[in-house]
Amino acid sequence: MVVTFQLNGEDCRLDGDPMTPLVDILRQERFLTGTKAVCREGFCGACMVHVDDEAVPSCLKPIGLVQGCAVTTIEGLSSGNQALHPLQANFEAADAVQCGMCFPGMVMSLSAFVRDNPHASRPEIKAAMVGNICRCTGYERIVDAVADCLDQARKAGQLAGGIHV
Amino acid sequence: MSELSATVMNLPRRDARDKLRGRTKYTNDRARPDMLHAVLLRSTVPAGRIRKLDVSAALRCPGVRAVATGADAPGLYGIGIADHPLLAIDTIRYHGEPIAVIAAETEKQARAALAAIVLEIEPLAPVFTMADALQPAARLVHEGWRGYEVITEGGARAGNIAWEAKSSRGDVDAAFARPDIRIVESSFTVGRQSHVPFEPRVAIGSWEDGRAHIQTSTQVPWTVRNVTGKVMQLPPGRVRVTVPPVGGGFGLKFDASIEPITALLARMTGRTVVLENTRQEEMATCLCRENAEIRIRSAVTAEGYIAGREAVVLMDCGAYGGEQVFLTTMTAHTLGGNYKVGATRLVSRAVYTNTPPNGAFRACNGVYNTFALERHTDEICEALGFDPMEFRKKNVLGDGDLGATGQVFEADVLGPMLDRMETLRASTGTSEAKADGRLYGIATTVGTWFVFVGPSAATVNLNADGSATLVTSGVEIGSGTMVQSLPQIVAGQLGLAPDQVIVREADTDAAGLDVGVGGGRTTVSIGAASVAACAEVREKLLRTAGEMLQTRPEDLLLRDGRVEITGRPGSGMSIPAVVAHAQATTGPITGSGAFTAKNTPAMSGCAMGHFIDALDIPVFVVHEAEVAVDADTGHVEVLAYRVVQDVGRVLNPRAVMGQIQGGVVQGLGYALHEEVTITADGRIAQDDFETYRLPLAQDVVPVAADLYEGAPSMGPLGTKGAGEVPILAVGAAIGCAVARAIGKPVRQLPLTPPRVLRLLHEREPPPEFPHIAPGWASNTLG
Amino acid sequence: MAPGVERSFTAASTIEEALAARRQGASVLAGGTWMMRDPRRGVDLPEAVVALHRIPALSKVEVEPDHVVIGAAVTHAALGRALRGSAGFEGLVAAAEGAANPGIRRVATVGGNLCALDFAAADLAPALLVCEATVELQTFEGPRLLGISDFLKDRHALLTEAIVTRIHLRRDLIASAHIRLPLRQAGDYPVAIVSLAVDRNKRCRIAVGSVEPVARRWTALEQAMAAGPASALDPQRVAELALEHNDFQGRDGKEADGWYRRQVLPPLVKRGVAALLSTEGVAWL
Repeated sequence: MVVTFQLNGEDCRLDGDPMTPLVDILRQERFLTGTKAVCREGFCGACMVHVDDEAVPSCLKPIGLVQGCAVTTIEGLSSGNQALHPLQANFEAADAVQCGMCFPGMVMSLSAFVRDNPHASRPEIKAAMVGNICRCTGYERIVDAVADCLDQARKAGQLAGGIHV
Repeated sequence: MSELSATVMNLPRRDARDKLRGRTKYTNDRARPDMLHAVLLRSTVPAGRIRKLDVSAALRCPGVRAVATGADAPGLYGIGIADHPLLAIDTIRYHGEPIAVIAAETEKQARAALAAIVLEIEPLAPVFTMADALQPAARLVHEGWRGYEVITEGGARAGNIAWEAKSSRGDVDAAFARPDIRIVESSFTVGRQSHVPFEPRVAIGSWEDGRAHIQTSTQVPWTVRNVTGKVMQLPPGRVRVTVPPVGGGFGLKFDASIEPITALLARMTGRTVVLENTRQEEMATCLCRENAEIRIRSAVTAEGYIAGREAVVLMDCGAYGGEQVFLTTMTAHTLGGNYKVGATRLVSRAVYTNTPPNGAFRACNGVYNTFALERHTDEICEALGFDPMEFRKKNVLGDGDLGATGQVFEADVLGPMLDRMETLRASTGTSEAKADGRLYGIATTVGTWFVFVGPSAATVNLNADGSATLVTSGVEIGSGTMVQSLPQIVAGQLGLAPDQVIVREADTDAAGLDVGVGGGRTTVSIGAASVAACAEVREKLLRTAGEMLQTRPEDLLLRDGRVEITGRPGSGMSIPAVVAHAQATTGPITGSGAFTAKNTPAMSGCAMGHFIDALDIPVFVVHEAEVAVDADTGHVEVLAYRVVQDVGRVLNPRAVMGQIQGGVVQGLGYALHEEVTITADGRIAQDDFETYRLPLAQDVVPVAADLYEGAPSMGPLGTKGAGEVPILAVGAAIGCAVARAIGKPVRQLPLTPPRVLRLLHEREPPPEFPHIAPGWASNTLG
Repeated sequence: MAPGVERSFTAASTIEEALAARRQGASVLAGGTWMMRDPRRGVDLPEAVVALHRIPALSKVEVEPDHVVIGAAVTHAALGRALRGSAGFEGLVAAAEGAANPGIRRVATVGGNLCALDFAAADLAPALLVCEATVELQTFEGPRLLGISDFLKDRHALLTEAIVTRIHLRRDLIASAHIRLPLRQAGDYPVAIVSLAVDRNKRCRIAVGSVEPVARRWTALEQAMAAGPASALDPQRVAELALEHNDFQGRDGKEADGWYRRQVLPPLVKRGVAALLSTEGVAWL
């Protein structure tokens, strides 16, 4: 079956099994290996991508269901020499990364979250991270960095006249 | 000390940006379309004899390029004893054991061809538990155990006892016979812990110019090299191992496992072969932290003096000896740590069972022995009416005290650390109010670990652009040593900025021997080797500069990328100028350094079957937990967690804090959530993320930590490994806090809600070990 | 699937089209979060699937003054958004917003949750039981309406020749609550779920999920409560009744044994009643 969708802003046409998980197409056919296939059951969040601007696990998304959709992967979030997403910049500055394998998924989940929840509290940030497992860091530094990122955005927004992330 | 001020800093990670952008290529991101994919045929029975194994039909399946069996790699490997085949040879010893491997053009083709392998197994009665394995008439998991090559001499072995290590100091019988003591006895049992690195074990093998080249996600490139040579019956020098960034290890990747298979298939096919465990395979055959059974008895006087102590520790090594054989050594230093004891004897046995083999996991052996020791200490306090904190303050190891093997500890460390914990608690306050009607408990526990040093080598090349290249076999597994502490150390030694230090990815063809990333040793051992390499570089650099500046080398120093004349800031010349001159006159400036343990001796006759006699670098921790227990559901909420950690000298405080937070949370998983059980057919029941519950963001709290500096260490600049120990005393602190909250003895981990509710309702049977004899000596091979 | 056979994938745009595919043997694909895990369970993916996400009628929530209609292809996240703040649906919202994890909730659908036959821990099942929801099916013979209790009991047979299209809810609840007990704070399937609701007649409805293989109403407890005065909506008192009328056979699983699932029910009921009492709807108590 032929499936067409937008992948990081470009047309993507595939001819294959429509029940192939999106993550396998990304990694094995498009070599977009930033999306990690860790548990392949929707529990770990390492394979999160944006489908029509919503953060979803790509391991459970058959490509048949992305026909006509816009898919953004971690590679598309800040490509080439583009500046880092503010969350990525905060994670880097806070020394939040260890082995790093959970972070692309963490960034994809949380970038959608901060966009939609500019006033999120710390407990709300933690609740948003329930589907993103990190085995190395013990989470708190990630939560701090997200909170700082929202804080900075609010302050910048106030200065610029109330524009939020 | 300027060297120190140039070294200590919160250097950020150089690899963070690419990791955050998804650009870092871990081993399992490096599969290419022209590679063959390998898939393993694994046993579906826990014990049996292979009666027929015919792969000829599989070889004819579409896309299949090679099929290998145990006959293609007949060598055995192991730590201590060579008992482990790469692929099962004649005998099946665990459910999931690899029997054959297929390499095909696609993974799908390889998987499809599995069905064409003809395999007949005659089942044998499996031995699943240590209790079964230690029965006098138990079937032997390794019938031919006597014939195995013994790699390290000294351990007692017999039948299902793969290895036995003992320590014995003083007259324990006399201590227990004293009229003024009371005897307290406790038994504990703990389950396995699965590491769950996000990158599973994966390797890419190729055959280049008559040699194997393996790229793999490992902590031990030299072990992979040596094991591959052993099983393929090649000189190890014909194997090259390189290590891309590793997506988490935590000890799982401290042994070779599937890597040699890729080399074998590459030799057979002439193609590059990738083999990656599926998540299910990874979890079903995880070389877990072993399940263990512990019995401790102590003879304590009314004044609180521990006159005598004896313990039996049974460690399940699963089907093959692996790390457990070595880890029997650790009991003397973990269960034998923490407290001064009059006379002591400890025996630790690694026991074969027909279950998936176990391995090393962060603070291996120490985590459960610390849990057992600290809970036992609380039981002593309860039985004799001591305040647990006062008892600890009075009895923790101090300057001149003896360990279980008779080694002498230097300096008072744990005592002052307990005081620091009280200061830390005073600054954070306590969280009892958050218990909000639930049962509240708080406990302070101590732990003893040691950095396992062992050999490391380093080469430093000073380049004409002023940069330095550090070549070692160190691996970046996420802990930051290769991107933070090592470049900081080299930069500090050579007067450079850390970003001028290039750190070479591990390559056994380029760097000297290293025993691997584990035990908190990298900063210490590779760091020390790097300091030695820098000394040679420095000497050459200063000699050349001395000639150029007409100054004695001893009057020169390295600072801010320059060779300066002491006391005259801004004098001298830039390092690149000196390097360029040296290159033209005496040749490029390089230095090499090596390091190994000083092998602190044990007291004569105290240690038997030990791989290491004594602790070269002891590391201590004090952990304090506050918990609330829901008496209706058994849920334990951690309200607060505090750590005082002996770090010797901290090089990157922020990175160490990150290790503490991460290590404590892994410990919380072990203490509360992560459960592994063995099914009736010998499988690990929890082989996915649905049933193996890792701590999530909502299950954790920010850890308040105080870094205790100044304890003696032979590490460079006085450092100790900081990444290993944060997990050490978590099971202990949580176990003791929960026991106090519920008013019942906690003798088993993890404390899942069902287990806690059963404890509250007195439905949880206490551990009983009929296979541990009442007399200590009867639990030894003599 | 046999080699060389191409999988059939129909993205139906009408219910009729979906039904036609179903009649030819296609399996219904909702969000995919359950079916895509089939290979991990050792089950091959179906050779033919029909997806419902392109059928407009199945992807919306209609909130009317006296009733609510939920399309089967509505995701948990969308259901939570649509009903948040609607008095009486607190429990259903909590179920939709507490199930699994945020990523799954953005994908997993109401229909999928009710039609995953082996999924004992579905959050929406007990929540819809206390709503006394009506399940609308399209069968090969035509549309059919069925009470949720009957649907859950008979779904194995029903779904061989029907597709769940919509869920109909009356707005006759004044308050509801949904108490789920995962073993962590969240993120794993609850080992026990208690949903409660109070209707306009001040009668209390209680349903239990995850304790037995299929969620069901706790009729014995409801009757015991009905026998007492309405003011008896006292957490402690109801918990005592729950203990007395605990007629559940807990299922044994890797995560918890039957004893545990059964044991936690009275405290969960107690929490549920307390949650009910904290809603505006029962301020009269």
